[in-house]
Amino acid sequence: MNTAPSVLIVDASRESREVLRVLLERRGATTLEAERPEDAIRITREHHPDLIVFDAESDQTASGEPTDHLREFAVDSDTPIVILGKVRHFCSPSAAEEIVAKPYHYGPLIRKINSLLAAA
Amino acid sequence: MPSLFVIKGRDQGTRIRLDGATVTLGRGVSNAIQLHDTEISREHAEFRRRGEAFVIRDLGSSNGTFVNGEAVTEYELKSGDQLQLGRTVLLYTGVTEGRVEDLADKISIVSRQEDGDASRIVHAMPQAEGSEILSPPENETSSPWLARARSNLQIMYRTALAVSHTLDIDQLLARIMEMIFEWVDADRGCIMLKEVETGQLVPKVRRHRNGLHSEERITISQTILDYVVDRNEGVLTSNARDDDRWDAAKSILRMGVREAICVPMQGRYDVVGVIYIDTLVTPQRMLQQGSPNKFTQEHLKLMIAIAHQAALAVEDTTYYKQMVQAERLAAVGQTIASLSHHIKNILQGVRGGSYLIEMGMKDHAKALASGEVSAEAAEKAVGIMRKGWGIVEKNQERISTLVLDMLTFSKEREPVPEPANLNELVCDIVELMKARAAEEHVELVWLPAPSMPTLMFDPEAMHRAVLNVVTNAIDACHDRADGRVEVTTQYSQAEIMARVAVVDNGSGIEEEDLEKIFAVFVSRKGGRGTGLGLPVSRKILEEHGGRIRVESKPNVGSRFTLEFPALLPQPIPATAKHLVPGSTDIEPVSADSSHG
Repeated sequence: MNTAPSVLIVDASRESREVLRVLLERRGATTLEAERPEDAIRITREHHPDLIVFDAESDQTASGEPTDHLREFAVDSDTPIVILGKVRHFCSPSAAEEIVAKPYHYGPLIRKINSLLAAA
Repeated sequence: MPSLFVIKGRDQGTRIRLDGATVTLGRGVSNAIQLHDTEISREHAEFRRRGEAFVIRDLGSSNGTFVNGEAVTEYELKSGDQLQLGRTVLLYTGVTEGRVEDLADKISIVSRQEDGDASRIVHAMPQAEGSEILSPPENETSSPWLARARSNLQIMYRTALAVSHTLDIDQLLARIMEMIFEWVDADRGCIMLKEVETGQLVPKVRRHRNGLHSEERITISQTILDYVVDRNEGVLTSNARDDDRWDAAKSILRMGVREAICVPMQGRYDVVGVIYIDTLVTPQRMLQQGSPNKFTQEHLKLMIAIAHQAALAVEDTTYYKQMVQAERLAAVGQTIASLSHHIKNILQGVRGGSYLIEMGMKDHAKALASGEVSAEAAEKAVGIMRKGWGIVEKNQERISTLVLDMLTFSKEREPVPEPANLNELVCDIVELMKARAAEEHVELVWLPAPSMPTLMFDPEAMHRAVLNVVTNAIDACHDRADGRVEVTTQYSQAEIMARVAVVDNGSGIEEEDLEKIFAVFVSRKGGRGTGLGLPVSRKILEEHGGRIRVESKPNVGSRFTLEFPALLPQPIPATAKHLVPGSTDIEPVSADSSHG
């Protein structure tokens, strides 16, 4: 990887976004942030991040549709996505989709992100 | 929607909606309804929709499917049916029959003047006198048959009344026994209930006719009991020689002629027990009444009817207790789910913060080891640690809030009023919340009342109440660029009221949600809220004899007004003053003692 990889962090909690941002920047990645999956699709379309880290709880709709859209969008745009927590609709996970159960430890999460970025 | 409610078994308290054309039930994960009961087969049964109703079908389970105590292979469920699968008992509730909305159109309640309804009350009777209807009119000499029929009806009516009056089974059975004794000339009687676990009959109530030796044991033939329970038939027995049905067992006492009635208490689902009465007809009495019999077929019939009523009541009561227990379990489950979710989020925050600190220290150590401690690298490492520390501290605060809210909510506590100043208290809260507001880019404005006397209230509790509302106000402005929260206090001498108003220009609350915001564990803030804040605030205000008023408009903002009666500290007599340390703090009402 020549240029710094970019990671989109989708999380409703500013605090969680900050932790990930600091950790990712520390290892030389650039970060983008979104509070909701709805915004995430727009940002992905504009900035083509190398990876999306998506907190399932950032989708506050009852239907869970934005989550489905974001996941479909990630598959279509060939962007690996790490999902934190439980997603309601269990569609067959794509190859580049990783689900991390909550509460998670940051060490393994960062390693997982690293290996996905390396594979990209 | 039709639903099942687990009233017994490991899943007790779980409510299951029957949604879809076919719903499968079993122990295996693939089932729509998974029950944790080892006596339930992997694929035990299925529910198929048939019109409005559901039909349960056993899928060849090893232990079978029972509806109201009967084994079934296929059965159309009706509301109130009890399903037993393995050790689990479920209650089925179907769709409400009849449409309530339509009825409202068909039945109108009119005031008398309107609509030409000229009906008038011709005769009125207190509800309690209903039983009098069955007593014979004085001026009528009725046939003995009619008199008996009346008296029978009356006892049924009284049984129905008795069972509707109590939820205490023992009391209920005692009352029924008493009535039976008033009605029939029995010498001894007892009611036995079947133990749920063992199926054994256990005596619950025993009665002897007055004058008879009450320490005498009642001996009941097991043969009769088995016959009654197994066949679900009431029997009238006599140990006179002419009946040889019981002779094989030879277990009926032989002293005079003993007649007995033993009837099953057949409820809706099962035989729940038996009622037994007997009488001893001595040779003298036989001569007197000219017949060896005292109990008749009619007595037997009526006893069966009474026992049925009693059984229904016993079932209802047991059932009610199970329901209460199940509901309670469901509530506990919900509480635990909600709390663990919130604690999980805090834990995640703590992990994030401490991981940052760990990484900061690692970077710092690395820089030290490499020998070149550049100011820049050190600054960066410390920066990461500081961020981590900030997050840890914030989550520590969240745990403390959660725990204090939980304590406030759970305790039936009385507020401990002490002289305190509301302006000072609110000023502290505003100071405390400034950092949080700044972080959210919300302007926090504090407008104290110009005059605020020292009042009697529980400052610690009131602090929580106001803090929760201010926190909510700031959170409500989350999505706004020009968020503004205004906190004002007001003291009205005329109304004897103190108020704290918290006004925000945030997201506001939809009208239909206004009622819900005070419900426990209902948070509109997603992961950020515990769903405890407002219920706790309201509880505190109510404990102070006050309340919280809410006005809100979606996308415009909300105004929360916390108000409580402004009680002034009792003036302390000058002579007693030296006994009360700190009493000099108490100011007279007229003095201007505003702060902030």
